Amino acid sequence: MARTSSPNGDRVLINASPTKEFFIHMLTRDIPLTRAILDLVDNSVDGARRIRPDGDYDRLWVRMEMDAKHFRIADNCGGIPVDVARDYAFRFGRPKEAEGTPGSMGQFGVGMKRTFFRLGRHFVVRSITKESRFTVDVDVDKWMADGESPEKWHFKFSEIETGLHIKEKDTGTVIEVDRLLPNVTDAFALENFRSRLAEEMSHAHALTLDRELAITLDGLPIKHDPQELFSSQLLKPGFIVKSYSSKTLTGKSGPPVRVKLYAGVSERSLHEGGWYLFCNGRQILRADKTATTVWGDRHQMRVYHPDFAYFRGYAYFDSDDGALLPWTTTKTGVDADSPIYKAVRQEMIEMTRPVLTFLTNLEKERATAAAVRPLEHAITTARAVQVQTITQPHAFVSPLPIRAPSGPKMQKIQFVKPAAEVEKAKQLLKVRSFTAVGEKMFEYFMRYETGEKE
Amino acid sequence: MPGSYRIINYALRPAKAIERRMLCAAFERLNPFQRIQKYRYVGFGSIYFSDFQLLHRELGITDMLSIEKDVSAKACFRFNRPYKCIRLKFAPSTEVLPTLNWGRRTILWLDYDDRLNVNILGDIATVCLRATSGSIVVISVNAQPDAEPSKEDRDLYQEETGKPFDLGDYRLHIAKELIGEKLPAGTSGADLRGQDLAKVFRKIIHNGIDEQLSIRNAMLPAEERILYRQLFHFRYKDGAQMLTVGGILYRAAEEKTVMACDFDMLPFIRSGIEHCSIKAPCLTAKEIRHLNSQLPTRPSVKLHVPGVPDADIQQYAEVYRFFPTFSEILFA
Repeated sequence: MARTSSPNGDRVLINASPTKEFFIHMLTRDIPLTRAILDLVDNSVDGARRIRPDGDYDRLWVRMEMDAKHFRIADNCGGIPVDVARDYAFRFGRPKEAEGTPGSMGQFGVGMKRTFFRLGRHFVVRSITKESRFTVDVDVDKWMADGESPEKWHFKFSEIETGLHIKEKDTGTVIEVDRLLPNVTDAFALENFRSRLAEEMSHAHALTLDRELAITLDGLPIKHDPQELFSSQLLKPGFIVKSYSSKTLTGKSGPPVRVKLYAGVSERSLHEGGWYLFCNGRQILRADKTATTVWGDRHQMRVYHPDFAYFRGYAYFDSDDGALLPWTTTKTGVDADSPIYKAVRQEMIEMTRPVLTFLTNLEKERATAAAVRPLEHAITTARAVQVQTITQPHAFVSPLPIRAPSGPKMQKIQFVKPAAEVEKAKQLLKVRSFTAVGEKMFEYFMRYETGEKE
Repeated sequence: MPGSYRIINYALRPAKAIERRMLCAAFERLNPFQRIQKYRYVGFGSIYFSDFQLLHRELGITDMLSIEKDVSAKACFRFNRPYKCIRLKFAPSTEVLPTLNWGRRTILWLDYDDRLNVNILGDIATVCLRATSGSIVVISVNAQPDAEPSKEDRDLYQEETGKPFDLGDYRLHIAKELIGEKLPAGTSGADLRGQDLAKVFRKIIHNGIDEQLSIRNAMLPAEERILYRQLFHFRYKDGAQMLTVGGILYRAAEEKTVMACDFDMLPFIRSGIEHCSIKAPCLTAKEIRHLNSQLPTRPSVKLHVPGVPDADIQQYAEVYRFFPTFSEILFA
């Protein structure tokens, strides 16, 4: 017969503290390589923000270099203060009392370490601020082998100086990682990987690049396409500004969240159409066409459709307290359950509706034979403008569609013929579209066979 | 639209003919992998089957497959098939390639008329993921930059983008449509003009091969990894600017076998960004015979033919072994 007894002493304790190996595995398993590198750029951008709160990053730079053996990122963006490094930057998880950079991107206190572990097994961080300088040099294999007791989880400064007076232009941070992991080496050897990284970087930091921060990858400047909407007297993008106080969001006082929303039309592109969402300047969603933003039955909206390939919506969330923003730790997605996002999404939906109505009417107009085409006219005569230049809030403006012409009831005809013959007819008729081929042929037939001019 | 085979007689494109013979001379050297007769050849034979004729006659290859995307004129293609051993598959290459047995050593020549695009990169990916060691892949694409479009098209561009027309932007726009995210970072409109377009296309093809092999190799031990060595990098112009790149796929453990093929002893082999330009000077049959009688010779020896520019003679001397002779024949 089995005997039971009340456990006592150490026997009641189950050791649930993670091992370093398990910790590194869990920390790095979910983050794609490109995103891990973007996290380091985020830190540099936060540095730029710290020393240039006005947002003019002229003459600041972030330079990345990589090859099969090394990764290096250097910036002149103010450096990491020693106390920040000691208490937060190299600590696991970010204590709530951490004094962050107002409006910062690095919100979760995992970015740097996660990236180091994701890349390689040896890293060196050197940073110089106006008052201090330090070096942290970590051999990850040794650190893992060094034991699991709490004090063995610390990283140590290998050099540290404080109370210095250094000119701001000489400040900055250099991070080097080597003994790269095999899958990192493989990726760094591929030019297609670099292109993808450059592309993601140009999207993620579109706003920061606008403010003249010079980001380069192996000497190549990262460029980006500005966020643009078509604008003219006839066609104006919708634009609203909202502010949500910290009190309503968290019940505590603190910095508010400011939201700017733009919706309108831009260059027709099935791929690029949709909503774009930024948190503190960092792109979180790109050309979203799903229910995460406004599309589909869940929101009593139509699903994204080729007719809407002209649609663009831009949502900018900004706050000095990044924790209030609806982003996930990998910055690849929006926290769709957060109350602020739910509230803002409703605004986004309301702003999307009139644009979709316009685009639906545009397609209807194109399907008719009307000579006067106000919607088509509005879209072809408008010019692309950067959304940042739009400052006056107002609703989406577009021309009204012409009511169904008061003439006879119209009927559409469709038929299929060998392409070579249709091409020949198109040339003989001197027209550009297949629609025109059909119309001309019909007119030709009516003129000669019925004696009536159609 | 009729296929380009009705607009251009493929058999009469001299630079192409030279390229074909050069490729054939390189394929011949694959013997260290296996007897060349045992290779499979896969290509786009069109109705002329020029490559198939050459490889069957010169190398004795009998396992031959021609992929034909024009499904509307099957009888025409079947009728023009020069040898019984050539099988035909009527479907786009993107559909056919994944269905082939890639365990066979293959010489594959993807000889497109089109400009490089996502579908072509997809075909390259298919081959790189599957082809067995000792296989050859060759890709030809049109690399003619876009000319300044007509006023109508410029206006259309302006309407669509809401921006003033710029030729560089326009070319970049088209390149992005064709190639998408595989366009190398930092490519500008200025990189897509003149000969530079061919340079960019070669790079994209090369990057595509690298990427696919990296995916394939990720799960393989070092000696089983598949490597790519570029052998061919031709540019020629019978009309539009064309680019051909290609090379051999082989297991890392078979490096020595590749060495034994000794491709480098052929003068047109190019393993990097340097290309081999094929130019076919216009010469009469009599001039050709006269030059042949003085060849081969050391580069320092000056060749003579009355009235033919030195540059043409020079070009001829570089390709004479591969030079096609066209003549009019009356079949009775």
